[in-house]
Amino acid sequence: MSRITLESKPSDGVRELLRHLLDKGKVSAVLAPRRLDDEGSLDLGFITDRSELDSIDPFAPVMIANTAQVLSMITPSSSKIAVVLKPCELRGFVERVKREQGTLDNILTISCTCGGVFPLQKAVDGITGGMTANYYSDLSSEKIHAEIRETCKACEHFIPINSDVTVSLVGEKDLDENCQIYLNSKSASELLEGLGGEIDKKEYDPAISAGLMKKRLAEKERLFNSVFPGKGGIDAVIEIFGKCVGCHGCSRVCPICYCVSCDFESMNFDSDIAYYEKELSQKGALRLPPDTMLFHIGRMIHMSFSCVGCGLCSDVCPADIPVASVFKRTGDKTASIFDYIPGRDLEEAIPVMVFKEEEFSRFVDE
Amino acid sequence: MNDTERSAARMRSPEGIRGSLHDFLKIAVDKGAVDSVLAPVKVPAENSYAWILMNDPAVIESASPVAPVMPVQGAKALKSLTRKGKGESRILAVMRPCEIRAGIELMKLNQVHFDNIVLVSYDCPGAVPFQDYVKDPGFSEESFGKMIASGRPGEENIKPACGICTEFSIVDSDIHFGYFGVDEGSAFVIPVSEQGAELLDAIGLDRDAKIADWESEISSIRDKRTKKRTETLSAAGERIKGLDGLINAFRKCIGCHNCMSVCPICYCRQCYFDSEVSKKDPDFIFEIAEKRGAMAFPRDKVMFHAGRMTHMSLSCVSCGFCTDACPTGIPVAEIFSYMADITQPTFEYIAGKNNGEPLPLRKFEKKELPLVHEIVKSAEGEEGSDE
Amino acid sequence: MDKKYVPRITSFLCKWCSYTGADLAGTSRLQYPTAIIPIKVMCSSRVDPVFILRAFLKGSDGVLLGGCHPGDCHYETGNYHTRRRFAIVKTVFESLGLEAERIRLSWISASEGPKFARVANEFTETIIAMGENPVKKKIFL
Ligand code: SF4
Ligand code: SF4
Ligand code: SF4
Ligand code: FES
Repeated sequence: MSRITLESKPSDGVRELLRHLLDKGKVSAVLAPRRLDDEGSLDLGFITDRSELDSIDPFAPVMIANTAQVLSMITPSSSKIAVVLKPCELRGFVERVKREQGTLDNILTISCTCGGVFPLQKAVDGITGGMTANYYSDLSSEKIHAEIRETCKACEHFIPINSDVTVSLVGEKDLDENCQIYLNSKSASELLEGLGGEIDKKEYDPAISAGLMKKRLAEKERLFNSVFPGKGGIDAVIEIFGKCVGCHGCSRVCPICYCVSCDFESMNFDSDIAYYEKELSQKGALRLPPDTMLFHIGRMIHMSFSCVGCGLCSDVCPADIPVASVFKRTGDKTASIFDYIPGRDLEEAIPVMVFKEEEFSRFVDE
Repeated sequence: MNDTERSAARMRSPEGIRGSLHDFLKIAVDKGAVDSVLAPVKVPAENSYAWILMNDPAVIESASPVAPVMPVQGAKALKSLTRKGKGESRILAVMRPCEIRAGIELMKLNQVHFDNIVLVSYDCPGAVPFQDYVKDPGFSEESFGKMIASGRPGEENIKPACGICTEFSIVDSDIHFGYFGVDEGSAFVIPVSEQGAELLDAIGLDRDAKIADWESEISSIRDKRTKKRTETLSAAGERIKGLDGLINAFRKCIGCHNCMSVCPICYCRQCYFDSEVSKKDPDFIFEIAEKRGAMAFPRDKVMFHAGRMTHMSLSCVSCGFCTDACPTGIPVAEIFSYMADITQPTFEYIAGKNNGEPLPLRKFEKKELPLVHEIVKSAEGEEGSDE
Repeated sequence: MDKKYVPRITSFLCKWCSYTGADLAGTSRLQYPTAIIPIKVMCSSRVDPVFILRAFLKGSDGVLLGGCHPGDCHYETGNYHTRRRFAIVKTVFESLGLEAERIRLSWISASEGPKFARVANEFTETIIAMGENPVKKKIFL
């Protein structure tokens, strides 16, 4: 557990760090956000050639695809890979690893204290210089940036859990010439030996970003109280998801929804026309295609306790439904009954895979 | 049906085509000519519409047969209802022309059964882009209202696909409501099929109107649209030319596959491009990256889009849902329509026609496709014959 | 309008315990309401929690899930998983303000005919007091 201080911008510092890793043969490849043009297009570059590292923008405030899903495609790998990712992406991947969708072996994770990301649409339309400039000054002053996504504004897990390397951004002054790199694991210390800079024995101190934490928690409470209409009930659920077009983009981009074939798209819920005719005779009207609410509430039942609040589901929703806020709000409750925090610990079993002999008596007539 | 002898009934309503169609639904159910109706109804939050199958008069009263926006392709609604076969009751479905054409393609793919379904189409002014609508339903309602009152196809605030649509009027439905260029508040109710004619008889609509003027109005609009379509799509074709063009066109794609999942034609439950088959071994991916120095994720964008084109562009009806659903604003429909306008003529096929023609890939002739012959021949020439 | 309203309570009962318990209630001539619509499942853990949701959204006034007592599951640990899944469904319902009282989990052994009758009666009373499931009338599901 130690800290390296470089006198550079954090993004330059991380590029330097990645060059060091590739040059010294300590890793064979790097996975990180990469700028494609001046318009703001990005992708995730899977890079083996050091000259390609120049285009890397490690802390670009966008999430173009969930790195957790990409990591499932490139692991298990026989070569060592360094990955730059957001705290929620790392937690998402930990949840995936628990579901045997990849492994953290041979992976060096590099994350940062995260100021949040812009909505996908804004990101692909090109991040204007103004917006980004503001973004970095807000990081220093521990403000919630006005343009970041709703779910990011309300995210309390902006300090990476269990990353090998944490770059401290939130609450750090002089981000133009101050790059604080915390090495949290033995492998990080070994791999980064000889990087240079000033080294001391400091561990990351949450006090550095306590100001932002306070604001985020308050924002979370506000969001959860306002995103879901009134006391709830079926009418409230219909009010939120009524305009869903059934594209299921939300589940396809979700790091947790890893099933190749989703239950809600399977033949399990198909019915003969006779069934609908009968339902029609009972109700006088019904929606087609059916089962929109079944899909959303059902998905909550299947996965909400693992929701990491990454916000991608809201990002891709063409109907502009605040999917992530609603899922995270319910997910907080389903996770809390198990004292579970998704992505906290690889050793912590998924709640539905284990049990205790005595528990949850309040839910059963015994 | 012999086109030259087409005669029609006439309906009038102070609310124009929306009123006439709405009245028509109510009459058809009242008179027992059909048992239920499938049409859009505004959702309770009043920020979109949903397809509702209904026989309750109160719900039918609240229906909006001509909705400003297209949230779910009507053919998909029909598919969910009839995929497993036909029903006992008679259902009247009001849909836009492209939705009916998609339904016809799905019928050929055995995903929709039309028996006992009466399809009603109407001169379609276009639809408001879905993402615009949900951001500001009030404004969209207003602009669509004006558009439809004008009795002409819309030009502003409509989906790009609608602006270049040439099949905006009569299609292979059962009954068509024509009102472009017809005097205000009035619409022709045109029987398209035997079934449609019988239904009009059953509800007692006399067919004494002459529709030649309307027909020539439609064909003049179609001529203009055809020109615009050709221009727009050939410009799109220029943009996507070559591998770089294609890569560039989809560079913002995040691989969510929304475009595929809302497409009425892409009916596979398990898309090939999402399946295990198209997954690669991690070490193989690493090898590719190593060979090139770097590779991009999401990967296989061109593979997905170009692949989807080869799978379905023969049936693409240019409904524009893919563009509507794309979270990154890629003009997917324009690119796919460009391709459709090349692949379909190659097989002399027009998607969405119900004229007994099978899907092009379901048949072949011994001598056909001269272009392919040329290619094969020249390849044979180079390699020499085996015999 | 005096006629007593008979709710529909979709009841997933495990073959080895609760279903047999229900049978026993019947053969012992213990009264239990006709509202109960039993569905035999091999184990309470065969019930995907989404089945409960679907029964609810399709208009069941109540959904009852019956399994063996802890330790007695024919498949050893099935019902422990059932309990966790059920806790999730309940919590999701509560978080959305759906009427969580309309779903219920009971451990009923093969010999507990009287307990089955009691749970069935009690639950039916609760549901009658709550009235019809309002979801039944919703068309935008
Ligand atoms: S992404 Fe949005 S429209 Fe698509 S299924 Fe999810 S909630 Fe519905
Ligand atoms: S439900 Fe939405 S916010 Fe939660 S993990 Fe999945 S994509 Fe992210
Ligand atoms: S909807 Fe858009 S972003 Fe999603 S796969 Fe299609 S083109 Fe790509
Ligand atoms: S067999 Fe009864 S609960 Fe498992």
